[in-house]
Amino acid sequence: MMAEVRPNDPVDLVAAMASGDSGAPLNAFYAQYASTVLALLMKMLGSREEAEDILQEVFVELWRRAPQYDSSRGSVVAWVVTVARSRALDALRARTRRHGDKQQQFFSERHGLGTDGGRPDVLVSSTRWHQALRQAFKRLDEDQRAVLELSYFLGMSHSQIAEALNLPVGTVKSRILAGMRALRTMLPIIHRSMRV
Amino acid sequence: MSDEKERAELLAALHAAGAASEEDEKELQALLEADPSLQEVVRDFQDSIAALASSFEPLETSPKTLGQIQKQIAREKGGFLSRLRSWFSKS
Repeated sequence: MMAEVRPNDPVDLVAAMASGDSGAPLNAFYAQYASTVLALLMKMLGSREEAEDILQEVFVELWRRAPQYDSSRGSVVAWVVTVARSRALDALRARTRRHGDKQQQFFSERHGLGTDGGRPDVLVSSTRWHQALRQAFKRLDEDQRAVLELSYFLGMSHSQIAEALNLPVGTVKSRILAGMRALRTMLPIIHRSMRV
Repeated sequence: MSDEKERAELLAALHAAGAASEEDEKELQALLEADPSLQEVVRDFQDSIAALASSFEPLETSPKTLGQIQKQIAREKGGFLSRLRSWFSKS
């Protein structure tokens, strides 16, 4: 028999979805993550209409994959973001096949962090958590942020990044590692700042 | 840090950042099998990059979207996918 589902516990919600419940647990899960996923998709795709379409695909896929989610391998938000990123990259690749790669500009030029000011659809409830995260990420070294943005948000491999930036592959790898280490050290700082 | 640990951390970082090649992924999988504690490094990196990816200003979704998701899931429930889900939940 399934234990009681705590609506604020994402692991409980995923477990309930895994058992086939597409009612209240799915609604609560959607309420918790949809606006964040939509923001990520908008950043990656630059089109509201396409982002809304992919958002739908992402949540259907999350529901299908719920039985495979393993909390020992990562947090729920990491799982959600991984699925969303993967679907957005599929859409970007399909777009590239249709139109060539001319429209693929650097993510940092189009969608740099903290460039949402004044958007009418930005939720007023943007949390201190999001603000703290963005402030922290702005402190990332510019070179490290560039390679992370190209790899994570545009799906480029280290060799593609090396070619695009005219850098040795070893330098790209070193910057990715340094950037990931920096990100890892920022999270506890953000958590602490939220307790103040 | 030893060269092996440094290499394992690099592979974990490349994997989490989505920049790993096929060879890198194979090497990381082999290292994970040999040393399951490496999974913690992978997890930390994945959580860190997920935080970055979830840091954008949240956007209000269309009121229709949730309904469309529920309709699609309702269509799939009872079909082939339902049996597949059942298999996954048992395995």
